[in-house]
Amino acid sequence: MRANFIFSEVWIGLRRNLTMTIAVIVTVAIGMAMFGVGLMINTQVSAMKGFWDDKVSISVYLCSKNSAFENCRESGAITQAQKDEIRNELQSLPQVAGIEYEDQKQAFEKFKNEQAGNILATVTKAEDLPESFRVRLKDSSQYAAVVGLVKGRPGVANVINQKDILERFYGLLETFLWISVVLASVLVFAAILLIANTMRLAAYNRRRETGIMRLVGASNLYIQMPFLLEGMIAGLIGGLISASMLIMAKVFVFDRVHDYIALTARLTWADVIQVVVVALVAGVIICAVAAFMTLRRYLRV
Amino acid sequence: MIHLDNVTKVYPNQNRPALDHVSVDVDKGEFVFLVGPSGSGKSTFLRLILKEERPNSGQIHVAGKDLARLSNFKIPHLRRRIGCVFQDFRLLPNKNVYENVAFALEVIGKPRKFIRKVVPEVVELVGLDGKAFRMPDELSGGEQQRVAMARAFVNRPMILLADEPTGNIDPATSIGIMKVLDRINRTGTTVVMATHDAAIVDSMRKRVVELEDGKIVRDQSRGVYGQAY
Repeated sequence: MRANFIFSEVWIGLRRNLTMTIAVIVTVAIGMAMFGVGLMINTQVSAMKGFWDDKVSISVYLCSKNSAFENCRESGAITQAQKDEIRNELQSLPQVAGIEYEDQKQAFEKFKNEQAGNILATVTKAEDLPESFRVRLKDSSQYAAVVGLVKGRPGVANVINQKDILERFYGLLETFLWISVVLASVLVFAAILLIANTMRLAAYNRRRETGIMRLVGASNLYIQMPFLLEGMIAGLIGGLISASMLIMAKVFVFDRVHDYIALTARLTWADVIQVVVVALVAGVIICAVAAFMTLRRYLRV
Repeated sequence: MIHLDNVTKVYPNQNRPALDHVSVDVDKGEFVFLVGPSGSGKSTFLRLILKEERPNSGQIHVAGKDLARLSNFKIPHLRRRIGCVFQDFRLLPNKNVYENVAFALEVIGKPRKFIRKVVPEVVELVGLDGKAFRMPDELSGGEQQRVAMARAFVNRPMILLADEPTGNIDPATSIGIMKVLDRINRTGTTVVMATHDAAIVDSMRKRVVELEDGKIVRDQSRGVYGQAY
């Protein structure tokens, strides 16, 4: 193998086929970027799940004197006996890891801190806020027993499972994940067709050369190598562009979102590097395989 | 060197065979004219030797190798031992004489030092010394064919196949081409030349194999083109 000979052939091929090569590069870049964003969302979701799983709790809000909840209107404010009963029953459940009680004063302090500066904080009094139990679970997926036990019970105003709120957020992210995966597949398909076309044009452009190479006994590898390398270089450039897009996505999208809503699990650079490497390798491999498959049709022995 | 045994070749979607039970032996160092009208099977004969086509039946041995048992992977190695010259020269228009000849060695991975040594020798052998850096469009048809012959011969093949090499060249220039082929033959290379050119066949007095409708109708050593012409 004479490397400089092959590379000069590759260079000539890329130049002659510039428009098609650019089309391949752009398609691969966007396709791999979509694919990478999908992977990043996936990493983000599992990181968040891992982070939240042992922190989510179920809030059981109790009726106070002037609760507006329908459940409270009949029974009125909760009695001490009812409170103790609920606490005991919850504690006896095997799924429960721990229970914290929050009285109206504590709830008010928390509310004031959260809503500091808000006009609402100045008009709200401690009596307006409900008492509540915070139930922590051993396994956040085992919430049904707790919710079933307290929901609709006299003296219980409302039950909020934090997991439900998170699930809704995961659901949103997963929708984005699927959108990016579908877009990525469509673009990869387009890239494969484009590469097939590029190779056909390249093989046609260089049919004299390849004809003579065949005739004088150049090996198939030698004849196909410039074409394969052309495809792989286009794939590599596309992959590099997608890598820079993914890095920008991390800095300008994922980190920004993290700053606005505390997702608490930040996408790390290690995650991004992993995704970038996968996108680069996938870009090159897709191009190489597509090129190889096409060449077998257009450069026969 | 070339051994065809009862070879039949029928192209797909055709009833009439291009070659019909053909048996020929060509020894090492021989010079053979393959004559016959268009469509008589001369080109098929040459393509079979290169394994560009496969016979429907019969056996072909080239340079001691049974082509039926030669894997696709090894076809390039067979072709390195066979040089080819065509009616339409098949030169690369963007390369000069030297580069066209060197191309044949570059693509089979020969070292540059070797290429620099042998290419000028072969260019001289075909009578193009002093024109090594001309482009093909600056050369006459005869000169272009000499370049093609240099390219075919530069790797010192055991066999040289020539498919109507004088087909595009005037009779006076053809004599020069034939002299080069004769010179190549004298180095021990087996030459098989398909041609329509009666004058050349008659003047060379070499072995003549005549094909007609895919069958061998004559095989004469020191023959002429044909009594009928």
